[in-house]
Amino acid sequence: MTESLDEFTPTTQAELARFVTNNAAGEKRSLLSAGGRTSLNFGYQASGEGGVTINMLELTQVVDYPARDMTVTVEAGIRMNDLAELLTGEGQQLPIDVAQSQRATLGGVLATNTSGPRRFGYGTLRDYVIGISAVDASGRLFKAGGRVVKNVAGYDLCKMLVGSMGTLAIVTQVTLKLKPIPESSAFIWAQFNDFDDIDVVLERLTLSDTRPVSLEVFDRRAAGQLATESRRELPSDGPILLVGFDGGQDEVAWQVETLRHELSPFGSAKVDSVDGEAAGELRQVMTEFAICADAPLTFRANILPSQTIEFLEDAERAGVTLQAHAGNGIVVGHLPDDVSSIDRAKEIIDPLRQLARSYCGNLIILDCPADWKSDIAVFGDPEPSWGLMSRLKETLDPDGLLNPGRFFDGAKPVTVQESTS
Amino acid sequence: MSSAATTPASSISTDLISRFRAIVGDEGVLSEAEELAVYECDGYVVEKQVPDVVLLPENRDQVVAIVKLCNEYKVPFVPRGAGTSLAGGCLPVGGGVMITMTRMRRILEVNIRDRYAVVEPGLVNVHLTRHLAGSGYHYAPDPSSQGACTIGGNVATNSGGPHTLKYGVTVNHLLGLEVVMPDGSVVELGGPCDDNPGYDLTGLFVGSEGTFGICTKATLRLTRDPAAYRTLLGIFETVADATQAITRIISAGIVPAALELMDQGIVEAVEAAFQFGFPLDAGAVLLIEVDGLEVAVDGEAEQIVELCEQSQAREVRRANSGAERQLLWKCRKQAFGAIGRLSPSYCTQDGVVPRTKLPEILEFITESGARHGIRIVNVFHAGDGNIHPILLFDERDQEQVARVLKSSDEILTKCLELGGSVTGEHGIGVEKINFMDKLFEPNDLAVMADVRMAFNPDGRCSPGKMLPTAGACGMEHIERSHPGRKAAL
Repeated sequence: MTESLDEFTPTTQAELARFVTNNAAGEKRSLLSAGGRTSLNFGYQASGEGGVTINMLELTQVVDYPARDMTVTVEAGIRMNDLAELLTGEGQQLPIDVAQSQRATLGGVLATNTSGPRRFGYGTLRDYVIGISAVDASGRLFKAGGRVVKNVAGYDLCKMLVGSMGTLAIVTQVTLKLKPIPESSAFIWAQFNDFDDIDVVLERLTLSDTRPVSLEVFDRRAAGQLATESRRELPSDGPILLVGFDGGQDEVAWQVETLRHELSPFGSAKVDSVDGEAAGELRQVMTEFAICADAPLTFRANILPSQTIEFLEDAERAGVTLQAHAGNGIVVGHLPDDVSSIDRAKEIIDPLRQLARSYCGNLIILDCPADWKSDIAVFGDPEPSWGLMSRLKETLDPDGLLNPGRFFDGAKPVTVQESTS
Repeated sequence: MSSAATTPASSISTDLISRFRAIVGDEGVLSEAEELAVYECDGYVVEKQVPDVVLLPENRDQVVAIVKLCNEYKVPFVPRGAGTSLAGGCLPVGGGVMITMTRMRRILEVNIRDRYAVVEPGLVNVHLTRHLAGSGYHYAPDPSSQGACTIGGNVATNSGGPHTLKYGVTVNHLLGLEVVMPDGSVVELGGPCDDNPGYDLTGLFVGSEGTFGICTKATLRLTRDPAAYRTLLGIFETVADATQAITRIISAGIVPAALELMDQGIVEAVEAAFQFGFPLDAGAVLLIEVDGLEVAVDGEAEQIVELCEQSQAREVRRANSGAERQLLWKCRKQAFGAIGRLSPSYCTQDGVVPRTKLPEILEFITESGARHGIRIVNVFHAGDGNIHPILLFDERDQEQVARVLKSSDEILTKCLELGGSVTGEHGIGVEKINFMDKLFEPNDLAVMADVRMAFNPDGRCSPGKMLPTAGACGMEHIERSHPGRKAAL
């Protein structure tokens, strides 16, 4: 355990629980949990004046790995790469795509509910967390779920904590359900003249004979970046559709052939395929795309899959560089480098957010300069269910000690403003 | 078993009943003793409690009005679907109002392109399956009771089914909910789009067994149909050989769509009922299904046959036609119905162990049955390690009931010892509430109680469920009227 005025680094769950208990009984300082610090820009700035950073990087123990049961229990500070290496040794994996996985920790990925291209076929982290331990704001070390793959005893606090941005409890230990590593993977890379062509193909793919695990669309700019970064000669003179397959060798080969055949009536596409090790590398490049240090602002829109292309068209016209997990209706966009003021950013974001809202979806900000956040509604406009969420937060953290103001609770209280005006 | 000895926590006045009639009409109110008797228990027949009144609302606004009225009169209420719970999830602990959702059974929207359907909670699971047939998509959770159980009940208990091994349980297929909260307010959680900002309250609500509110609408994720199936029947001399095969299959990295075990006792009953041609002298049969692309399923099936043979399978049969596959699944899913041939009553347990511990727990079950003189047969989701020992008894014999409870408790305690859980898919209900403090530490339960406070601060919605501290008045009466339960602990 190391302790300074502003940072506490527990080496066991119990140490953390004691520290938090003492804090709750004493000074009640804000507790700002941090893992690999890859996503600290996501969300509002926690109002951590006089707060303590809880550094989770020494909670890295592999508690139990009964490989034949295909579950693993690890502490939350483990880096994603280290976890992957452990699992690969047994031919197993956690099929969640994470950028900067050499730094990102499981706890951070869980808090932010990170996902990537494979979510279409494999789901998201909430589908893999079967047990959890965490320390709440009063210092109670608690657990939920268990270590078996099927279990409905007690409330599913795993779901509650996945994506909770460290605001309800500090997750210390996680039990995961695992998948076998597939024998083979491949991507079909198909370039089109415009988004409209891709829309028709996506519609057709709803009843494809193949079973893709990823359905990605990139605009022309992003396609160029992707081709460059994957160091391959891939056609990128227009928007691209990338379809990923996992499975046995025959299975993947058959699907690549079948999809080529299914795409052939759609004319103008230039089709290529990537397999073997290169497929894994390409997937990693696609995953890293979500992070762009140079972009002044990165957003994520969640809409219906059938509305994705229309949204992409509007966003492309505004100069945004775009990736869509098209099978899930999720669009990640980087604003162009020359957007240097919040007003200029809002000119782009506001109409896109409105468009997403008109589809019953939403648009949230993944990354932007800290001083823009208070005016840009990081998590969108307040939803009716936020009242219930606040009640949950107040019940579990009545003094508001855990990452205060980081999540939706950092939004400007719109209703209050209205009533005073 | 009688509830006559206990006074319900609430007494429902005729005034209140007439106000309920104004909401749901005469045909939506059941208050005569003989009508209510139907609702005294669900699939868990060991404990019974008649509700004071049963209401059958037809829409959300009626549910809201009922809940608000219950709050005004301070009476407890409990939602109910088809009553197929095997853990007493629908037992109206302490009496009160039962809100039966079966009249709200419409399919409101099916959107294949965006892979979702919006349905009302009273919809019977298999009706959705039938509605989607031919669309290329289906709703994956398929509990064995899917011919009767409702989507709302599936949400409340996070139901599974034989195909959860590959496809996951209800929560993995749920995108959003409309909920009438315990105070009568309405809240939308999630929706057809993925990743709504904020906490995953949809995920938290699933499996809350009616204690967080009443679901009035559910948005479900649809799954692409598999292109091909191969259904196999592995026949083994002993249960141990069959469980060995299971471990081998899973460790080989094969994820079958389903992997179900039936032991000799259950095979006998099923064969008598359906005449499939099961061998009556085999110790256990494994029903194994792989699904996927045509190009892949034969290879997987071959591999499975090999692994079964390595585990001393006497024979591995293949379903040669769609009809044969259907019949095999009918045998499996209606196995519980066939038990009527073996015994007047039965009690099913729902423990879970890590898959590799299956041989140990099955041996223990056999011993426990012998020790207490209770016949136990097994049919279960072997691939998930989710056991369903079925204890056969005659509920008219109090002494037998006590022995059944003892044996059940022993088996579940052993599941915990082996690192498992006391319920894989049926829920805690009232049946396993006394296990919660064996499974969880005081801190765990306290946090869960806090979470419930955020949803259900007055505890008026589904009292006496899930947590041992819940609506204490209700639990006292359960324990008093069932000394056998207490003694078994």
